[in-house]
Amino acid sequence: MSTVTEQTADSVHEGHDHHDHYEPFWKKYIFSTDHKTIGIQYGFTSLVFLAFGFFLMMVMRWSIAYPDRAVPLLADWPWFQAWLDDGGKVTGDLYNMFGAMHGTIMVFLGVVPLAFGAFGNYVTPLQIGAVDMAFPRLNMASYWFFLLGGVLMFVSFFLPSGAAKAGWTNYSPLATTTDLHYGDLFWTGQTQWLMGMVFLISSSLLGAVNFICTIINLRCQGMTWMRLPFFVWAMLVTGFLLLLAFPPLEVAAIMQLMDRMAGTSFYIPTGLNVSGMAFDAAGGGSPLLYQHLFWFLAHPEVYVLILPAIAIVSEIIPCNTRKPLWGYKTMVYAVMVLGFLAFIVWAHHMYITGMGPAISTFFQTTTVLISVPSVILITSLLISMWGGSIRFNTPMLFATAFIPMFGIGGLTGLPLAFSLPDLHLHDTYYVIGHFHYVVAPGTIFALFAGIYHWYPKMTGRMMSERLGQLHFWPSLILMNGIFAPMMFQGMAGFHRRAFDGGKAYEQISNQVFAEANGFIANICELLGIVGKNEPVLMIDLNIVTSTSAWLLAVFQVPFIINLFISGKFGKKAKGDNPWDATTLDWATPTPPPHGNFIGEPVAYRGPYEYSVPGAETDFTPQGEKDPVIVSTAEGEQEKPA
Amino acid sequence: MEIPYEVKPRRDTGLYNAKLGVWLFLASEVMLFGGLFSAYVFLRTGIQDGVDNPWPWGLNVHKGFVWLGFLNTLVLIASSVGVVFAWVALKERNWRKYQIYMYFVVACAVVFMCVKTVEYNSKLNKHHGIKLVDNSVMEGTILEKTDRIRFEGNRAVFGLQGALPAFLKDISDEDFPAFTATVQFKDDEDPQVTEISSESQFKKWFHQNRRTASKKLTAERRRYRAEMEEFGKAAPVSLNTSATVVASEPFQVNAKPTKVVGHSDSSVNYRDGSKVEGKLISDDVKFVMHEVDLQLVLPQKQRDSIIWDVINDESAKQQFFAKQQKHYEEMRDYYEARGETIPEKMLRGHMLNLQTIDHEDHGDHEEHHGEAPHKSEAKHSAGGGHGDHSYITVPRDKIKFMGNHGPRYGNYYALYFTMTALHGLHVVGGALVLLFFTVFGKKLYLKNPEHLANRVEVGGLFWHFVDLIWIFLFPLMYLL
Amino acid sequence: MAEETHDWDKHKKTYWAVGIALFVFTGVTLALGLVPILDLGPPGPTPADFVIGLAVAGTKATLVSLIFMHLNHEKGLIYKTLLFTFLFFVGLMALTLFAGADPIIEQYDTRETTNGKLVEKP
Repeated sequence: MSTVTEQTADSVHEGHDHHDHYEPFWKKYIFSTDHKTIGIQYGFTSLVFLAFGFFLMMVMRWSIAYPDRAVPLLADWPWFQAWLDDGGKVTGDLYNMFGAMHGTIMVFLGVVPLAFGAFGNYVTPLQIGAVDMAFPRLNMASYWFFLLGGVLMFVSFFLPSGAAKAGWTNYSPLATTTDLHYGDLFWTGQTQWLMGMVFLISSSLLGAVNFICTIINLRCQGMTWMRLPFFVWAMLVTGFLLLLAFPPLEVAAIMQLMDRMAGTSFYIPTGLNVSGMAFDAAGGGSPLLYQHLFWFLAHPEVYVLILPAIAIVSEIIPCNTRKPLWGYKTMVYAVMVLGFLAFIVWAHHMYITGMGPAISTFFQTTTVLISVPSVILITSLLISMWGGSIRFNTPMLFATAFIPMFGIGGLTGLPLAFSLPDLHLHDTYYVIGHFHYVVAPGTIFALFAGIYHWYPKMTGRMMSERLGQLHFWPSLILMNGIFAPMMFQGMAGFHRRAFDGGKAYEQISNQVFAEANGFIANICELLGIVGKNEPVLMIDLNIVTSTSAWLLAVFQVPFIINLFISGKFGKKAKGDNPWDATTLDWATPTPPPHGNFIGEPVAYRGPYEYSVPGAETDFTPQGEKDPVIVSTAEGEQEKPA
Repeated sequence: MEIPYEVKPRRDTGLYNAKLGVWLFLASEVMLFGGLFSAYVFLRTGIQDGVDNPWPWGLNVHKGFVWLGFLNTLVLIASSVGVVFAWVALKERNWRKYQIYMYFVVACAVVFMCVKTVEYNSKLNKHHGIKLVDNSVMEGTILEKTDRIRFEGNRAVFGLQGALPAFLKDISDEDFPAFTATVQFKDDEDPQVTEISSESQFKKWFHQNRRTASKKLTAERRRYRAEMEEFGKAAPVSLNTSATVVASEPFQVNAKPTKVVGHSDSSVNYRDGSKVEGKLISDDVKFVMHEVDLQLVLPQKQRDSIIWDVINDESAKQQFFAKQQKHYEEMRDYYEARGETIPEKMLRGHMLNLQTIDHEDHGDHEEHHGEAPHKSEAKHSAGGGHGDHSYITVPRDKIKFMGNHGPRYGNYYALYFTMTALHGLHVVGGALVLLFFTVFGKKLYLKNPEHLANRVEVGGLFWHFVDLIWIFLFPLMYLL
Repeated sequence: MAEETHDWDKHKKTYWAVGIALFVFTGVTLALGLVPILDLGPPGPTPADFVIGLAVAGTKATLVSLIFMHLNHEKGLIYKTLLFTFLFFVGLMALTLFAGADPIIEQYDTRETTNGKLVEKP
C-alpha cells in the first residue's frame, strides 16, 4: 500500500520540483503525451475557436439587426471585400457561410473539445487515481487530428469559394450542389468541411476509445464503480456516445464527399434539377438517408455537449455546499439510461420530412422518455443544494446559474418533441433559442465554472474573485437578453435563416410584441429602440438580441484578463486542495507532475464524503485512510453500459 | 512512469488495456460499416420501379467479377487462419514459425489488393454505359476519349475572381497555345495586353491579375461608401473583372462533359462561367455496344424506343425481342407451374429487358461480360451495317447520362466502390501494422514475448474483423 | 495465467477445422449464386435468396468471431459492449428503414409518380 500525498505548503509552489527527468520544450509542451498538457492544449485551442465562432455570430447579428447598414470596422478588411456587397452590407452568401461555420465551430471545435477534450483529459485520470491515460500516444494523436480538422475548417474561409454555406447540418442535396461552379471541387469550402469533419470524427473516436479504456482499466486500488466521482461516470457515458454515434456521421460525410468528388448519387434523387438544369448524376439516392445518418450522431452529440457540463457542475456543487451529492446512485443510473435513450430519439429532428404517424409516435415517445433522466439529474443537483451552507464563489455562481438556464433550455424543448407543435416551430428562432439555452448559458456556464474551479490545480494560483463576479453577473443577464427574445420571435414565426432578420416578411415581423406606452415600450423608448408612442414590434427585438450579444463579448474581457493574469499574479492557492474537496484530483501535488501522484493512490470511500458526522473536518478525502469513518461504498459492481 | 495493465490483464476486468481498446475500436467499426450497410439496405429497398436505376443484379452483369470476389474471399480467409497460427506460434515461443505465418498473411493482403486493382481497373476503364433520353440504356465500351467534346478553340473569356478557369485542364500540355491575354478593368482605362506561351505563365498572369482585380474592387467600394455617406448617392461600382485570351493559332480542347453546362457549334460554356469560342470538331460518342437495357422503358414503348434509331440495326432489334420472348416464356412456365400469374415487377425486370446483342460478325461477345473487347479488336473487326467499324455513333443530344462503371454510374456502383475502398483501406492499414510487428518485433520478443503475443492478438482481432466485413460484402456485392 | 498451460495442439486442430469450414462455406455461398437449382424462387434475388445467402455469411461470421476472435471465452465487459453496439446498429438500420417505409406523403398526396412523371391521381 502507499501513502496519500501530504498537503504540505512547500510542495505546492514550484511545479518543476516534481519533474523526475528533463524533457525538451517541444516534447513537454507541444508533442506531449501527458494527459494534463494535452488537456490544456485542447482547452486553449477550443477557447480560441469559441472566440472565433462568437465573432462570426456577432457579424451575423449585425446583419439581422441593421440589414441596411454597412458593417462597422470590417468593411475595409481585405477578406471581407469578396463577401460584403458594394455598400459594405452583409450578403446572403456571407450570412450563410458564417451561420454554417458558427454552428460547426461552436459544436465540434469549441464546446466538445473544451468539455470532453480539455476537462475530460485533465480531470478524469486524476479523479480515478491513474498515472495517465491508457494510451498516451493515442491521446496526443487525437489532439493533433483535432487540430488538423480545425485548421482545415479555418483555412476553408480563405478559399475562393469561402467556407461551407449549407448550414451546420450540411443537408444534401443543397450541400452537394453548392459551389459546383468552382473549377477545383476539392478546394471548396463545402468539401473541406467534409474533410475537416472526417479528421474531427477520427479524433473523437480515438479519444473515446482512450477514455473508456482508462476509466475501465486504470482505476486505482479501491476505486470501485460506485466510488467513481459522478464526473467520471458522465465521461464514461459521453465516451460511449462518441464511440458509437460518430461512425455513422463519418460514413455520411464520406458518402457526401463521394457525391461531391466522385459524382455518386447517394443523396441525389432521380430527376433533380439545380438552377433549372437537370443535375448530371445517376440519381436514385435519398436525401433522407443523409438526415438519418446525420441526426443519428447529432442527437447523441447534444448529450455529448450536456453531460460534461452536468459532470462539472456535480463536482462543484457538493464541494461548495459542503454536502454529499444528493442521489448519487440515481444519477448514475439516470445518466446510463440517458446514454441509451440518446441513440433512439434522433428522428425528432425530422418530423417535417414526411414521416408517418406510426414512426413519429415512436420517436415522440422516446423523446419524452429521455426527459425523465435529464430531470432526475437536474433535480438531484438542485436538492444537493438544499439546506447546505453554500459558498458563493465564482465557480459556484456559474454552477448555480447553470441549473435554471439548462432547465429553461430543456423545458422549451418539450413542444419540439411533439410532431404537431414542431410543424409550427420547426426552423424558427424558437429552436435557436431552445438549443442555445441548453448550450450557451447551460454548457458554457458550466465550462466557465470548471475553469474557475480547476484553475488552482492547474496553476497553483486562484483566479480573481472580483473579475470573476464582473464576468458572471453581466454574462447571466446578457445571455438571457440574447436568447429570451428569440423564443417570442420564434413563436411569432421568425424563420431562422432570414439574413435580414425577417425584414422581408412584414406580416410576421411587424406583429406587436408590446403595446405602445406600456412598461416594456417605455423602457425600449428610453433605450432608443423604438420612437415615442410606438409599439414594440417583434422585429425590434432583433436589436435587443444583437446588442446583448455584442455586450456579452465585452464582458468576456474580464475573463480573458483573469485567465492570463492570474497564472502569474493571482493569489496563491492554499495547499493542494484549496476548495477542501474530497475527490482524488485534489490529492495530487500542484500542478500535478508527469505521473500525477506521489506514491500509489488508494480510494477508501465514496467520492462525496462532505460533513460526515463525527469526522474532524467537514470533508473526508477519498484517498485518506481513516478508520473512524465507516465506508459507504458498495462492493465491486459491473458496469451495465 | 509506467501505465499499468499493458501486458498483464487487470484482475477484475480480466483484460489488458490494448485488448479492451481494440474491442472498443471494433465496436465503433461495427457502427461505421453498420452505417454503410444501412445505406445499402435503405437505398436498395428504396428503389422506385421504373424511375430509379434498377439494381444491377445478375450474373449476366458481373460474372467475370464473381470469380475475382471468390478468389479474394479465399485469400482473406487464408490470411485469417494465418494470423491465428502466428499468434499460436508466439504463444509457443517459436519465433521462426511466427515470422513465416506473418509473412504469409502480409502476402495474402498484397494478393488481395492486386486482385482488387484488376477489378477496379476493369470496371473503371473497360465498362461504360449510356442512358438515352428515353431512359433506355446501352452497355459497352466508349472508344477512347470520345465522351469528351472535341473542340477547336481560338478565344476564351473568363472571370478573374475565384479559381483558375476550368478549360485550362482540358488543353493538353504538349500543345499549349500562344495566347494574347487582354484585361480591361474599366472602360476608360487602356487595356493591358500580355503574351502568354505556357501554362505556368498563364497561372502566374492569372494570380497577378486576380490580386489587382481584388484591390481595384476594394478601392471602388471604398469610394462608393464614402460618396454614399457624404452625398447620399453614388455612382455604382463598376469593374470589369473578366479577361480574354486569344490564341495565335487554334488549340485543341477536349472538354470533359461533367464540367460543361452547354456547348454549341461555336462555343463551349463551362460550369465555372468560363467560355471557349471556336469551332466544334465533334461531340458524337463512339460506342461498342454489348447489351441493351430497357428496364426503365414501359413495355408498350420498347419497340419504338429511341435506342433502335441509334443502333440502326434491325437484326439486333429482332434478336433483343426474340430473347425477351424466350425469357418471358421461361418465367411464364415457372409461374404457371405454381398456378400463379407473373408479377408486374417481374415483367419489368432485368431478365426480360436486359439482353445481350450478338453482332453477326462479332459473335463472341458473350465472353466479354467480364472484360471488354480490346480496342484494336473493336476497331478492326467489321461490324454489321455500321460502316467499317463495329462501333456505333451516338449523337450527344440523345444522351441523358453516360459514364464508366465507376462510382458515378448508380447506387450499386457507388456503394460497391465506397465500401470496398474503405475495406481496402482497412486491409492496407492492418497489413502494415502486422508487417511492423514481424519486421520490428524481434526486440520486443526477446524482452517480453507475452507483450508481443498480446500485440499480435490485438492486431489479429482487427484483421479478423476485416475478414468478417468481407464475408458479408462478397454475397451482397457480387451475388445477391 | 491459467491460459499458459493450454494444450496448443488441441487449439490448432480447432483452428484448422474452422479454417476448412470457412473455405467450404465460401464454396457454398458461391454455389448458391451460380447454380440455378439452388436459386430459390423465381430467377433473380428474392427474399429467400437473401435469407439463405446471409445465413451462410452469418454462420461464417459467427465462426470467425467465436473461434478466431476468441469470443467463445471472452470477458463479460466485452460482451456487454458488443451487445449495445449491436442493438444500436439494429436500431440505426431498422428505424431508418421504418421511417422510410412510413411516409406520410402517399396517404394524403393527390399526385402519383408514373414513369418518372408526377401526374394527378384519377
